[in-house]
Amino acid sequence: MGVMADWLEADLEALADSREFGRWMAAEQKRIFLLCRRMLQDFEDADSATQDTFLKAWQALKRPESKELEDPAKWLTRIAVNTCLDRLRSRRWQFWRKRPNQEDETTILEMAPTSDPDAEDRLFAKQIVERLERALDRLTIRQRAVFTLRHYEDRSLAEIGGILDLEVGTVKAHLFRAVAKLREELHDLYFREGRK
Amino acid sequence: MRHWTELDFQHWLYGLKDEDSHLAQCAECRGELERLKGQRRRVVAEPEVSQDFLAAQRRSIYGRLEAPRHHWHTWRWVLSAAMLLILAVGVTMQLRHKPAPAISDEQLFSDLSAIEQSAEPRAIQPMHSLFEQ
Repeated sequence: MGVMADWLEADLEALADSREFGRWMAAEQKRIFLLCRRMLQDFEDADSATQDTFLKAWQALKRPESKELEDPAKWLTRIAVNTCLDRLRSRRWQFWRKRPNQEDETTILEMAPTSDPDAEDRLFAKQIVERLERALDRLTIRQRAVFTLRHYEDRSLAEIGGILDLEVGTVKAHLFRAVAKLREELHDLYFREGRK
Repeated sequence: MRHWTELDFQHWLYGLKDEDSHLAQCAECRGELERLKGQRRRVVAEPEVSQDFLAAQRRSIYGRLEAPRHHWHTWRWVLSAAMLLILAVGVTMQLRHKPAPAISDEQLFSDLSAIEQSAEPRAIQPMHSLFEQ
């Protein structure tokens, strides 16, 4: 967080320095990777999208006409989300795509929260997270982006609007439809009988 | 006093509903809200990502940063221009190609009339020579 705070005050010149960029990248990398992973639901695609995001950021920072950044983290999030949206759009034509095998990811990504000491809760969390992730396929691309930013990143509707370049009312409409489509999964997530 | 419904709670969690006077007065609904917030925190908690993986990803990004940029955008335009050129050449050649001499209407009607009046198909005529002495 300290590194992040530094960057909020950093100017473009510093960001465009390769060593400083490396520090910034290391601080933001996990967040961006998880965001891409959640939006794309595909580990390899998320890896590639994360790399593209930092590459685009670097190239943008190197451009002489670049303007000063008010909030580099938000700017980077916007690049990541747009990269993911492009990939999701091009995926529509890739009818041969299969859903990735979750088992391949287990050595790299521990999906269940590690801080939870209760084994049953861990299993439940893992199952519901996976179910919810699968259910995201039912959403449109915009609904998925809005829901991901709200559910996983806990961003305000205004922030989401800023990232996606949408009016707050439009964000609200997308989110409303997303929640309606995911009603069953969200019910199990929050209200399943017998949960503590 | 109407308690908040499941949908009310869901909408509040996703920023679609504001807190109202009922929530301020009802300890039961406030308690449920806290439970839901805790539940969400537990389920949405960031998973651990392997440090080895992140390091490998950084190396890959550095590699791409240092690699000479491929001018895909330029190549895309060059390829498009080449395709257009090929198409234009093809169309031009097609237009220049002289079509077979058009048969006049009189000739056509004459041929059709001959076919109609013939007792046997024209294709059989060469076979007659086989039986001629």
